[in-house]
Amino acid sequence: MDAPSKPPHDSSYRPAHPTTESAAGSASAGELARLITHEDVDRARDRWQVARARWEGRGSKLFGGFGVLWLLIGPGVLVFLGENDAPSMLSYSATGARFGIGFFVPFVILTFLVGFIVQEMTVRLGAVTHRGHAELIFDRFGRFWGFFSMADLVLGNFLTLVTEFIGVRAGLGFFGIRPNVAVGGSLLIVLAAIATGRYWTWERITLGLAVFNGLFVPAALLAHPDWHATAHALLTWKPLPTGSRYDILLLILADIGATVTPWMLFFQQSAVVDKGMQPRDVNAGRFDTMLGALLASIFAIAAILATTPLFHHGISAGNFEAAQFAEALQPWIGHVGASLFALGIFEAGIVAAITISTSSAYAFGEVLQTGHSLNRPIRDAWPFYLTLLGSACAAAALVLIPKFPLEFIVLTVNVIAVLAMPPALAFLLLLVNDREVMGEYVNGTWANVAGVAVTILLVIAGLGFGLATVFPKWLGG
Amino acid sequence: MKPDGETPIQDERELAAKTVTHLNLKDPGVVLSLLEADQVVAAKRQSRFGPRKLSVEVRVLLWGLRIYVVVMLILVVVSVYRAISAPY
Repeated sequence: MDAPSKPPHDSSYRPAHPTTESAAGSASAGELARLITHEDVDRARDRWQVARARWEGRGSKLFGGFGVLWLLIGPGVLVFLGENDAPSMLSYSATGARFGIGFFVPFVILTFLVGFIVQEMTVRLGAVTHRGHAELIFDRFGRFWGFFSMADLVLGNFLTLVTEFIGVRAGLGFFGIRPNVAVGGSLLIVLAAIATGRYWTWERITLGLAVFNGLFVPAALLAHPDWHATAHALLTWKPLPTGSRYDILLLILADIGATVTPWMLFFQQSAVVDKGMQPRDVNAGRFDTMLGALLASIFAIAAILATTPLFHHGISAGNFEAAQFAEALQPWIGHVGASLFALGIFEAGIVAAITISTSSAYAFGEVLQTGHSLNRPIRDAWPFYLTLLGSACAAAALVLIPKFPLEFIVLTVNVIAVLAMPPALAFLLLLVNDREVMGEYVNGTWANVAGVAVTILLVIAGLGFGLATVFPKWLGG
Repeated sequence: MKPDGETPIQDERELAAKTVTHLNLKDPGVVLSLLEADQVVAAKRQSRFGPRKLSVEVRVLLWGLRIYVVVMLILVVVSVYRAISAPY
């Protein structure tokens, strides 16, 4: 592989370069043997299991066999089901209630395709460099641009975290659970997930919770959706949405923001690194990401279908919050359906609270160059765990403050995600085309075309929002 | 190695998986045999990719997108203020 063309910025560091060389065969193996950490041992155990599964499934043509896939699935499914979070499911619900079955059904699938294109690049970046996204941005672009990037991430992550706890509160509120009990209990779940000190256990616990994002599917079935209209919409993108173009544009932005956001880039790359994935795992990582996008798109469409009875009965959902959707749906999908919907909102909030707070903690750890792995015991990486739990606690506390303007945050969070995405994509595309970092794993032509097209699409969507804000009458706002 | 990830299993890791039925992770050699050279925490601490030279085009792109984000965030605040202050 290519060697770097210039020395690193600090002469005390050796120049890094992409390599697949075994640590045991490297020139510094003797030195490294004396410096092995708990994190290395846990990661080696995971790699041993993958290597055994690969050996046992060596005849299989499917990514090395089911055993390998089972071990390597995780970051991709988690990032997409994590992004099917409370505000996202609320956006999909608002879409179904406002426009019914039509243009937005295939549009949501398109947004997940866009999400897959973008997230696949983070798999390669993580598996090849073994470094997180924030670390690479600081490394290659310097502190100035790094801090800008972090500012976008921190603002977006914190606001999104607040909305997750709004979802938790609203979802459990449907069952009469008091807000402080709901939010406090959720914090305990976050704590339990990280207290294991093991990435693998954390990942499996969170995946187990994320499966319940599928609760929107039975809720949708109970709404008895018009399958003919659904198939027609998927094939023709019709009927097109009608009404205020400003409202339509806002929902388009919200639905894009429900699928592609900066935290996803930072989270998946860091999770791929923490999981110990290597270049040989890239195909399995792609499968993981595709599976996540597929599941999340099915569940998102289920949320749209579940709320179409509100559209058919002319019930305005303009100012609905999560629990109000469940209550409004109860006459049409029954108490069971409404309960499933409310539980789905709770699940969406709690899984996203775990993944987004982990994303923040990874990024802070990488920037501060302190331990940033879920394979580390709490005593060894307390700043990492403190960031993770602290950001979750701060967001949860805000939700419990009486008369705090939560509506402000809910309204802005997905829009901010879309607006902050183009610079994040620019860094991603620059990194994934950087041969000194990626070696032969740099982007191909089509990945670049897709990546640039997505960036331009997001900029146009943002500019449309800007024009509509400055000149609201143009779009009937 | 091909970029598509379909590569033969490297000997030392295949060997580690095949022969070690009871994994002894107290042996540093076993740990190192399962990890890539720049996957070990200590190795990562000692190495950096270092800053890349940013061309004029890249700088213009990054500044343009930065200004875009700042302007858009101001518009978001304006938009939300209008939404909240509008009579229902």
